[in-house]
Amino acid sequence: MMSSVPGPDKKSKLLVYTIEECPVCGQKTKRAFAVGDYVTKEAAKCSKCGNPTRIGLVYAESMKQSG
Amino acid sequence: MSILEGGILQVFAGINTSDLVTVVWIGFFALTFLYQTRIQSYMALSEISRGLNKLKVMKDKARKDAIDYLVNVGKAPGDPSQRVDQFLDYVAIMPVDMDPAGIVGKVDHIVTTNNDRVRAEVGALLKQNNPVTVSISENLLEVATSLNQIHKIVRHYYLLGKKTNSYFTLVQLQMLMPMIIQEADALLNAVDSFKLGQPVGDGIGPIVVSRFMAGKEKRVIAKDTVMTITEYKGRKLYVLKADGPMAYVGQPGVAIQKIVGEMGVKPSAIVMIDAALKLEGEKTGEIAEGVGAAIGGIGVEKFQIEEAATRVKVPLYAILVKQSILEAITVMRKEIAEAADKVTQVLNRVIEEKTKEGDDVVVAGIGNTLGVAQ
Ligand SMILES: [Zn+2]
Repeated sequence: MMSSVPGPDKKSKLLVYTIEECPVCGQKTKRAFAVGDYVTKEAAKCSKCGNPTRIGLVYAESMKQSG
Repeated sequence: MSILEGGILQVFAGINTSDLVTVVWIGFFALTFLYQTRIQSYMALSEISRGLNKLKVMKDKARKDAIDYLVNVGKAPGDPSQRVDQFLDYVAIMPVDMDPAGIVGKVDHIVTTNNDRVRAEVGALLKQNNPVTVSISENLLEVATSLNQIHKIVRHYYLLGKKTNSYFTLVQLQMLMPMIIQEADALLNAVDSFKLGQPVGDGIGPIVVSRFMAGKEKRVIAKDTVMTITEYKGRKLYVLKADGPMAYVGQPGVAIQKIVGEMGVKPSAIVMIDAALKLEGEKTGEIAEGVGAAIGGIGVEKFQIEEAATRVKVPLYAILVKQSILEAITVMRKEIAEAADKVTQVLNRVIEEKTKEGDDVVVAGIGNTLGVAQ
């Protein structure tokens, strides 16, 4: 589920992303935030080496930027 | 009749149009000069009244959002509206400060009593005990309470100024209004992040220390506060944060007192990582270093940490991540999240520079741990 929160300037909406990090090879995967995500939660298997990843960050980006 | 007409005509005959304009202008200036404050009072009244309406919409929305969350996510049986309304008007009476010695303990006692009450009431209201849902409900109710208070206070001064026709009350309130609306807006925006359980900007400290704690053994060291003992380059680290992913701030003050007191640890440094309010013009996500207890709030935790550090003569180091009030209580911005790596580097450097191998170091991630486990 994608969530959007009004940005600080009220005109731009914020999109929230979850970053999954592989503790073994360092591969980072960016996907849309889903309710229930939290930092350090175990996430999907790494696409590169197959090890279980962890959520490293959850952050919001303004829609105007790339993403 | 004819005499009067003749008189007026004679008078007008003696005045040309430019004189008439001058008279009107002088009259206009005299009026504005005499009624200046009255006119400004009216303008202030209408501007405050518009702001007050905005505040009312905001507080009603926060209340409704809290009730909806209690019903939809918290599965509260029945209609919780009445309980929520009672909740919004609940007050915590601060202790008397005429004899300030020992006041921190008293404030702490009242704040703790209030926090326990909030959690117990929310728990009873929800008839379930998923800690994340309960903690989010607590936060939503606190936001609704704050907005309710702001609205009440502004309304009080508005009505008081209107009733007493007090120019200075109204003008002061009018000048404060944009700041009040901005703060209320930040609170209302926080509701959206809280409902979804997203980490907020204030959670940057917990995110950094969670990297030292993930996958390691944790123990509860104070209410809602967990600690991991780990190792970094030969130093023994006592890493603590509030217990996530619940929306807790924990009791880092009690935790640090316990570490240097009961546990008998003699740390060579206490490093605190926290979000700090930026000044206008400062960049979001900027990192500042300093000394002292980096923690906000009412002051109890700060007192406890300073007291503990002074007692055992341990230097307090602070690493701060700059952000606005809006950014601190709404979903974490990219600029803040990306500061996490840099903060970790700064933290490592501080530990390496200020302590030596074999030392004990306390590292505290201060802030709301919503969406940040360990
Ligand atoms: Zn991998």
